[in-house]
Amino acid sequence: MSGSSPAPQPAARPAPQPAGQKVVDEILEVHDLVRSFGGVRALTGCSFGVERGSITALIGPNGAGKTTLVNVVAGAIRPQGGKVLFDGRDITGRPSHEVALGGLIRTFQISREYPAMTVLENLMVSPQRQAGEKLATVLFRPGKFRAEERAHVQRAVEVLAEFGLYGKRNDYARALSGGQKRLLELARAVMADPKMLVLDEPMAGINPALIERLADHISRLRDERGTTFLMVEHNLDVVEKMCDRAIVMAVGQTLATGTMAELRGNSEVVSAYLTGGVVEVGAKG
Amino acid sequence: MSLFLLTLGFGIVTSAVLALAAVGLSLQFGVTNYVNFAYGSFLAFGMFFTYTAQTALHLPIWLAAVIGVVATGLVAVVVDALVLEPFVRRGTSGFFLLIVTFGLSLILLNLVQAIWGVGFDEFQVAAGNPVNIGPFSFTAAQIWVVGIAVVTMVAVHLLLTRTNLGKSMRAMSDNAPLARATGIDTRKVTLWTWFISGCLAGLGGITLAFNTVEFQAFTGNTFLFVIFAAVILGGIGQIYGAMIGAIIIGLVVNFAGLVISSAYDLDAAFAVLVLVLVIRPQGIIPTIGKA
Repeated sequence: MSGSSPAPQPAARPAPQPAGQKVVDEILEVHDLVRSFGGVRALTGCSFGVERGSITALIGPNGAGKTTLVNVVAGAIRPQGGKVLFDGRDITGRPSHEVALGGLIRTFQISREYPAMTVLENLMVSPQRQAGEKLATVLFRPGKFRAEERAHVQRAVEVLAEFGLYGKRNDYARALSGGQKRLLELARAVMADPKMLVLDEPMAGINPALIERLADHISRLRDERGTTFLMVEHNLDVVEKMCDRAIVMAVGQTLATGTMAELRGNSEVVSAYLTGGVVEVGAKG
Repeated sequence: MSLFLLTLGFGIVTSAVLALAAVGLSLQFGVTNYVNFAYGSFLAFGMFFTYTAQTALHLPIWLAAVIGVVATGLVAVVVDALVLEPFVRRGTSGFFLLIVTFGLSLILLNLVQAIWGVGFDEFQVAAGNPVNIGPFSFTAAQIWVVGIAVVTMVAVHLLLTRTNLGKSMRAMSDNAPLARATGIDTRKVTLWTWFISGCLAGLGGITLAFNTVEFQAFTGNTFLFVIFAAVILGGIGQIYGAMIGAIIIGLVVNFAGLVISSAYDLDAAFAVLVLVLVIRPQGIIPTIGKA
């Protein structure tokens, strides 16, 4: 059921597009999304595209509708209008688990984990690309079950090692520090072998050293696996350093897109956000 | 002396019945996060489906019991899909769902009475001679009850620790929105949970009917509060806690019957429940997580 991409892309990420406009291969397309909560209009016709293999930032003042947008894209909230295309497939209004199985994994603004499971188990839960473990297999074909289980544990251990969490593998996830929970969240997302990760403020509330580590992990994943990233981020230094492009949102709409250098020259964007200027917005993100 | 051992033997059988029912109730609570007061009526469905399969269809008791268990599981799925899910989707909170299940309980119990009548029934099983195992003396039916409970507990353990469905259930119990975001079809997991919960209720009902010999529509519902005592003692939503709670409550109930009077045996379960709520409200195994 994995969506067939229109233009098969080499595993390695394509070189960033030079300034000259070429045909861009967009893994995620969002068209005219509309969503209100009671009288609050969180999204008012939001449209943009995310280039395959890029690290794209989603920035904008508080209440611009960024988190609502992430929720709509990931299937946690149904839009009242508009379309979401992922990897050539229309995923508008599909339930979260289908979106996740299709290769688009999201993380949460406040990191979430399975507190009563160990760190290793947190990764093992991810059911993607796992051969069906039926009770019958467990009971009557223990050899097959054990082999599958071993391969699965092996992969989880590798991913944990990648993120420096191997030493914590048998600790309960609730015992991790805030920063470690952020790493765990990214590790769990990677375990699902996603085509695209949508991160909602991955750097919020963690120390500068860890921000650097997370940024390195994200860049490495993009370079090694060709994973596309869309990240909501308030820290513009981080955006400048690691993101290819940024999408600016305000009042439930896309205000502008471009590289940070381009955006700095856009007076509308500067007044709305980059100077930290006050913008009156009637929407809540 | 032998009266003590006899009571211990009966206690083990009661514990076995209780464990089957308590694990089913706790499993459903753990995954869906609300209490199902209609659970007592599921026990009644288990008893009466089996009764009908045996008396009307003339099936052997074991086959009738299998049919009873699966049919009760299906009743639970239908109840969830038709009645409870619409409320859950609307975002109804736990307290109101509790009232909904209480109403459901009245409807279902009266439905059972309407279908199968108000009188007492019993399964037709040859009494046979008591079997002596060590110092204990059991009837064949009692040995079956204990055997079924042990096998079922092992199966539940394997289900939760080894299968995808079990892992998904635990994940959902721990953090449902996260489970959805990592690709778990929580809708499907919920339906399976109700099926398994219903099957365990059916099994609990059938074994209870074996234990009490005679049964009617409300037999299971009277027992529901003892089941709650076991579940809360173990730590609500905790499967292994429910198993331990069932053993303790089962023994307490029978020894209370010996020491005080069998008229008050179920009340002893409540005494334990009150003590637990005062001393250790989180139960033996406290529930963590529940984000």
